Amino acid sequence: MSGTTTKPMTTTTQAATTPQPSASPVPALGPERPVAWPKRAVRTLPNGMQVVLAELRTFPKISAQLFFRSGNASVAHSAPGLAELTATVVRTGTGARTSRQIEEDLRRMGADLGSHAGADSSAISISGLAEFSEGLFDLLGDLARNASFPTDEFERERGRKIEGLRIERTTPGFLASERFRRVIFGEHPYAIVSPSEEQMTAIEHPQLEEFYHRNYSPANALLIVVGDFSADAMFAQIEKVFGTWTALQPVALISAAPPHNTGRKIHLVHLPGSVQTQVLLGNLAITRRDPDWFRLVLANSIYGGAFHSRLVMNIREQKGYTYSPRSGLQSLRQHGYFSVHAAVRNEVAAATLTEIFYEMDRMRSLPVTGEELESARSYLTGVFSLGVATQDGLLGQLSTIYLDHLPEDHLETYRQKVHALTADDILFAARRHFDSANAQIVLVGDRAQIADQAALFGEVSEYDSQGNRQS
Amino acid sequence: MKNLHIPVEHATLANGLRVVVSPDRSAPVVTVGVYYQIGFRLEPRGRSGFAHLFEHMMFQGSENAGKMEHIRLINSSGGMLNGTTNYDITNYFESVPSNALERVLWLEADRMRALKVDDENLRNQRDVVKEEVRVNVMNQPYGGFPWLDLPPVAFRNWPNAHNFYGDFADLDAATLADVQTFFHTYYSPNNAVLLMVGDLDPAEGFALAKRHFENIPTHPLPPRADVTEPPQTEERRGEVVEKFGPLPAIAIGYTVPDRRNPDWYAASILDHALHGGRVGRIYRRLVLEKEIAVETDGGADIIETNGPTQMVTRIFHKPEFTTEETIAAFDEIIREIQEQGISEDELAPVKVKLRADYYSNLEGGMGAHMPRFGLMHYLACFTLFDGDPGRINTILEGFQAVTPAQVQAAARKYLVPSNRATLVRRPVAKEVAA
Repeated sequence: MSGTTTKPMTTTTQAATTPQPSASPVPALGPERPVAWPKRAVRTLPNGMQVVLAELRTFPKISAQLFFRSGNASVAHSAPGLAELTATVVRTGTGARTSRQIEEDLRRMGADLGSHAGADSSAISISGLAEFSEGLFDLLGDLARNASFPTDEFERERGRKIEGLRIERTTPGFLASERFRRVIFGEHPYAIVSPSEEQMTAIEHPQLEEFYHRNYSPANALLIVVGDFSADAMFAQIEKVFGTWTALQPVALISAAPPHNTGRKIHLVHLPGSVQTQVLLGNLAITRRDPDWFRLVLANSIYGGAFHSRLVMNIREQKGYTYSPRSGLQSLRQHGYFSVHAAVRNEVAAATLTEIFYEMDRMRSLPVTGEELESARSYLTGVFSLGVATQDGLLGQLSTIYLDHLPEDHLETYRQKVHALTADDILFAARRHFDSANAQIVLVGDRAQIADQAALFGEVSEYDSQGNRQS
Repeated sequence: MKNLHIPVEHATLANGLRVVVSPDRSAPVVTVGVYYQIGFRLEPRGRSGFAHLFEHMMFQGSENAGKMEHIRLINSSGGMLNGTTNYDITNYFESVPSNALERVLWLEADRMRALKVDDENLRNQRDVVKEEVRVNVMNQPYGGFPWLDLPPVAFRNWPNAHNFYGDFADLDAATLADVQTFFHTYYSPNNAVLLMVGDLDPAEGFALAKRHFENIPTHPLPPRADVTEPPQTEERRGEVVEKFGPLPAIAIGYTVPDRRNPDWYAASILDHALHGGRVGRIYRRLVLEKEIAVETDGGADIIETNGPTQMVTRIFHKPEFTTEETIAAFDEIIREIQEQGISEDELAPVKVKLRADYYSNLEGGMGAHMPRFGLMHYLACFTLFDGDPGRINTILEGFQAVTPAQVQAAARKYLVPSNRATLVRRPVAKEVAA
């Protein structure tokens, strides 16, 4: 009984997730070894900069990420894309170093540098060989404090961003997320994931320096360092580089409330010649700080957040509609959302939506089985311990904790919080946050192939790939 | 310079299965892989894409673990899993809390022993693979550029030159009999290596390997296929249409020396001097100084391949420059390193960066949830291709020993027109945006 029977369209995935009798028994799990959660040392410098250090001596390397709690959302209505462009140009020169010197210094220390802005923060990250620790932090400090924004570098990088925006507009995944965010966030700054070409072109050089001086400031900063070092020596080094730094206070973000969408609506983005339909649907949900967060994480894992989840079983392993369907939860600072995505062949766009909603409604109607509950709890807790075993993974976890102001014992208590959840918790979370009846549905594809299928699910609005409303 | 020493132990079971263990007890997690020495280079003629389709079938059911049970058992043990198909290897791997080690080995042994799949499984995965090809290649800007469109231009021997993802007609023609034949031809313990990396005692690892794998029967292996290329005497060039992306793009590939060739190390250093991010010669000249290109990247997968391989540069350039102008600017970079070589001042940092990248690759390599995937991956390649997992600790010495003269000699010998292929992706004329 390995999925050989042909099943009607609406058959559940129950059969596939029930254990099969085996001639040769599956080995039981051994006794669980305790995880030694990495120790963190947390301090705040007198200038307000928060510093988090975690030793992890897996390889002789150091990874550091310096966050500033201001990102693209803070300028979404005045200069969309300004935070990202500022982060891009910040690496191209300081009072003491040219762009070429910066790149040469990095290579000499075996280092990689990244600088980007998300919705809520801007960040400079650097990782390199531990033996060059001092040089790595000198460079990081130089970029954070003394960036010079050379005019020619600004012009070139802005031009490259514009070319990048043009390529994005031919990418189904980007077009779907752009439309989806506009629909669920309305007038809230999170609605804008990328500027238009015109908006990027309109950004002027002085705006970058202004954004930098206002937001790249110690009172707005969080520095996380992970790797092969001793915390005391590392603090001394960080104090030397950042201790004397003073700068302006950033302005707090004030934003409109997202809209209250009622009823399923279809938002069709026409991409001529598309041989697939990109489906992205969902609704506003919650942030990590919400009391329902853990319940919802577990519900999402059973619904579509893992390979063995119901949605993947159904539309991939039973029906073969798609390669990599998943559902997920995104937690931004002010709001979070739940979404489901799948790239499917055009003929089954409507059938895919039917199954997505069927599985969502099933999560909202019936409790999950004990076996599913146990399996999902083990999955989440196991993967959590895998995720802190590498420097990059640990850095990612720590940034979530400290950017979102989660409890200090988040690492240590995560597993027990997950293990305490019940089938009722999942039902509760699904009913409250899988908003099937009011889901906003984005389809990116060729209008001629999918418009009729789209209309089966509600009122359809059409857009071109530039984001202009067509009907 | 202090090179890291990685502990590695290895053994060969009675049936020829090689077993490699690298312990690290710092976190209670273990990454396990089984690598078979078969990739898309050696799939049957008339069955392009079959090696990859077959890889999907390995998740569809084995003797004692039915469809999806493999995935369910790994996920519900708190682990992640995946498989990939490459030129010369196909791998299956899991990262799990270390108390699930024996369960993982049981599952891998079960599917090495016997695949139990049917026509419905095959139809299902054929559909899934077609959507994979659509989402990664046919419906993306620059999809498959250049890993799918350069080999047919660069190579003449079918194993190196065909469509690795598969023509849909070939995927449709694949039968269940093909699946079982392929399994019995290549999925034999003496054509594989089992790796365990992380939280385990090596003695325990070997004992578990023996318990679960040693009684798996072997199949006679076919003679190693001839993947050599006929000598190339002319520069090769091709052009394909870019359906979505707005920028013209060029890929330029030079065939690199075989992994057993003494020039292999110098050619790799040359690669890192030319590519190597924003500081590399190509990016600096074409993107930063001349501003012809919007983006460049490239390199050669030299550790992971065991047959004809190219160092490939990708150039996405501004439409106001012609293909010929862009290639001329690229050629100037090549000519300079051939004529003037590389200074010790440039070479030393290239080696430092190569060492740092090597460590980063060992620690991660597959996202944040597969600790030491890269270490396992390299150990597998060194075992299957070089017969020496210990190369994990000596390979850096080979790179450190390369001299400026050797880099220049490699540039003169390999970066020549009769060793190169160029592929142009030209955007279709666009309808005016509505």
